[in-house]
Amino acid sequence: MNRLRHPVGVAILLLGVLTPFVPLVLWSFAGRWRYPGLVPQQGTLRGVRLLADPTSQVLQGLATSATIGAAVTVLSVAVGVPAGRALGLYEFRGRSLVRLLLVAPALVPGLAVLLGTQVFFLRYGLADTRAGVVLVQLVPAIPYVTLIMSGAYANFDVDYERQAALLGARPWQVQLHVTLPALRPALTVAAYFAFLISWSEYALTLLIGGGTVKTLPLLLFAYAGGPDPTEAAAVALTVIVPPLLLMALVVRGLSGRGGTLGLARS
Amino acid sequence: MNLRPARALLVAGLLALTACGDATGDRPAAVSSDWPSVLKAARGQTVNWYMYGGDEALNSFVSRTLATKLKPYGVSVNQVKITDTVDAINKVLAEKQAGRNHGGSVDLIWVNGENFATGKQAGLWQCGYDLPNAKYVDSTNPAVTSDFGVPVDGCESVWQQAHSALVYDSSKLAASDVSSVTALFAWATAHPGRFTYPAPPDFTGSMAVRTFLYDTAGGPSAFPGPTVAAAYGPASARLWQRLLTLAPSLWRKGQTYPVSQADVEKLYGQGEIDAYLTYGPGAVAQQVSKGVFPSSTREAVFRSGNIANDSFVAIPANAAHQAAALVVANQLLDPATQLALFKANGAYPAIDLARLPAAERQQFQAVDLGPSVLPLSELTAHVQPELAAAYVTRIEADWKTHVLQR
Amino acid sequence: MTGRRPRWVTIVLLLAPAVTVVGVLFLGGLGLGVAQSFGYLPFLHGWHWGLDGYRALWHDPAVTASVGLTLRVALVSTAVATVLGVAAGLLLHSLVRGRRTVTAVFGSTLAVPHIVGALAMVLLLSQSGLLSRLAHAAGLSGTPAHFPALTADGFGWGIIAEYVWKETPFVALVVLAALSGGIGELRGVARTLGAGPWQRLRHVVLPLIAPAVAATSVLVFAFSFGSYEVPALLGRPYPAGLPVVALQYQQDVDLNSRPEAMAVAVLIAVVVAVVVAGYLALIRRLSGRPL
Repeated sequence: MNRLRHPVGVAILLLGVLTPFVPLVLWSFAGRWRYPGLVPQQGTLRGVRLLADPTSQVLQGLATSATIGAAVTVLSVAVGVPAGRALGLYEFRGRSLVRLLLVAPALVPGLAVLLGTQVFFLRYGLADTRAGVVLVQLVPAIPYVTLIMSGAYANFDVDYERQAALLGARPWQVQLHVTLPALRPALTVAAYFAFLISWSEYALTLLIGGGTVKTLPLLLFAYAGGPDPTEAAAVALTVIVPPLLLMALVVRGLSGRGGTLGLARS
Repeated sequence: MNLRPARALLVAGLLALTACGDATGDRPAAVSSDWPSVLKAARGQTVNWYMYGGDEALNSFVSRTLATKLKPYGVSVNQVKITDTVDAINKVLAEKQAGRNHGGSVDLIWVNGENFATGKQAGLWQCGYDLPNAKYVDSTNPAVTSDFGVPVDGCESVWQQAHSALVYDSSKLAASDVSSVTALFAWATAHPGRFTYPAPPDFTGSMAVRTFLYDTAGGPSAFPGPTVAAAYGPASARLWQRLLTLAPSLWRKGQTYPVSQADVEKLYGQGEIDAYLTYGPGAVAQQVSKGVFPSSTREAVFRSGNIANDSFVAIPANAAHQAAALVVANQLLDPATQLALFKANGAYPAIDLARLPAAERQQFQAVDLGPSVLPLSELTAHVQPELAAAYVTRIEADWKTHVLQR
Repeated sequence: MTGRRPRWVTIVLLLAPAVTVVGVLFLGGLGLGVAQSFGYLPFLHGWHWGLDGYRALWHDPAVTASVGLTLRVALVSTAVATVLGVAAGLLLHSLVRGRRTVTAVFGSTLAVPHIVGALAMVLLLSQSGLLSRLAHAAGLSGTPAHFPALTADGFGWGIIAEYVWKETPFVALVVLAALSGGIGELRGVARTLGAGPWQRLRHVVLPLIAPAVAATSVLVFAFSFGSYEVPALLGRPYPAGLPVVALQYQQDVDLNSRPEAMAVAVLIAVVVAVVVAGYLALIRRLSGRPL
């Protein structure tokens, strides 16, 4: 069949997904848009100008979010990949308990878990710092990395590593040239998830960052609560663009590889 | 929840208990009253100033104009925008509770009223400093020496005056509809759903309720003294009755109230309501010029008067950058800065214009903010002072019980 | 790997970083929360153990109303997102041409933070929002007040809308992934044996995707129950979402509220744990049944 199957269904699907974006985009450029106008009565670029204005602190927020996001990604991958390897490749007593412990933070709401720690962060000087925020964001991020990587390792044939070792490769060479390339799709997805979790985080950043560490979600929350929807919408669009761009890159990277083990290289 | 002064006392008591556990007893460094050494210590410091962030004109003033004026002293300002001053107070208190007696993350707070009172009771503020520019302030003016009935005692420095006013869409309300509270309520009843006020304890919502109380009771003279007088009982009962009668004609039929002043302004900008009360009438000009508010926006003051108060900046005793905070507080009192602030968002100067030379005084009087903003003469014609902090907390609690939860 | 070190050492070394971080922050955080809910006040003297926090919670109308709202919103959102997500996933799977593009567009919401979704819903669903203006243009609503209140409302419709919008594509993508195995062959076999489309759906497709969908809907529930920013932007101050209440009480200057704040946090954790455990047990029992 060459035509699109279920056109009505697809149309409803796309409509449902895309509709909320419409007022967001329109408001970003709305100079005057009073009820009951369906389109803005007047356009403006002040929403866009706001992004570059140092008063709005949006660029600052972008830098803060990016820095914290990068740190959380790197750390949670560094910690979650070995854990995923242990859970995926090895059978051992207590494995389900460890798995439960490492996955639980994905289920139990982070704010509930970390509410009691704020006093300690405050006392030991970690509150109102980026380091403190990175630390708490690891809690929701590590489970996702661990889970994805344990699934990937479970599907990984460890014989490839043995073969490479037999051929004389050192352990770190085996990891670098055999294992990690084979796991690259899962690794990419895991890293992306970790970054996304950090980028989107609000409550934990508010709790530990105390309003001093100004990530984009914190700024957006303030604008969203304010009287000017144009500014809020403009900041919101800024918040969406990096994750969407990264998602496009990840998808393109994944479909290129096609899930092979990458052994074609050797 | 308990009354705030009682809670503050509890906190102060608990803080006293922390003293026994504090082995080193670190005290904040004593602030020098020698101004040149303050300037020297302040050079290179950045002040973390916690202030309400919903006023774009003010934010712009702080990050541009004020920053430029502070540059010669090597001081910069990091504006930490908050939605409610109590958040900053809680932060300093939390730091004290956790034993952080110096190097605090809050250097300066824009504060007044019950928040200042809470901080004073808990011993949060740095007090007794002398600012060179304080000579421009009229130290005999009760509005400057007493903050919502609590003596200032040198624990905060005055910054700007706030005059409340009613903002309304003149294409929907006539001048007669806004001349008095009774007229406004009658208009609201005839046009249900087009007026509301934020739920106390929001600062502006609290002011709205107090404005209605003044109208009901004939003015603040009915409520003297630092503690709640006997006359409050019957007067407030009449007020709650009046507000309950009004409620069904409010936005969302009075079943819920906007949670903050920002929400109210959003409703007005979106055309869901046609009038609201504000503490910042000067900021309306910018919203009109941006197109967020309709150009038919005007302001009015009730015949029974409008509430005005002074707001201050206070420095926590555990602030990390005390010297720089003092420099900022001093700069805010500088006449040129006060003029710039006035031009930026209509914030009436807190300094005594009579102490300025005639030429500078005229510059203040020549400022024109456009048709949407009431001229100063009208804003200040029927000014009513604030009630003591004890009344404020009582009114907020009673409103919750008698109006919201009915 | 090399056989030079004992296997258990390798396992411990691999797990140590993750277990340390999660152990300290997650278990430690929960422990501290529980301790503080029973009266422990760190760095201060004069506190005592007691049930005051839980007693206050039990008698607090703000909390009781909040539990009702949060539970209702989470359950409705999870149910709707699961049903719609399965339907959408099946629809996407059945597409031959354009599956890639449609799936990409559909899945783009995954990259959108919830706080942006909440703002979008406010701009769409408020009484002066885009939907209301469309209703006005269609002659259905004369003023903003005539349009039903979907934001800052008592039921939580706006909150539900945001969760459904964000989580339906998530469920759909999981369904799509679960179907990417040998589903075509199984369906073909079933068709040959005379099964109609509805029977194929019920006895082949749904059981195949059920485990993945169950796990996903558990995740959706847990997230919806524990989310802070969405009820903060789309809900009412009273009743507020449970996490909003927890943070509000924790930031209260009055230390009397601290045990109650921690009790609310513990309540959130317990509710999620109970629902998740019960749900997983149910799934395990159901999947034990022969087809």
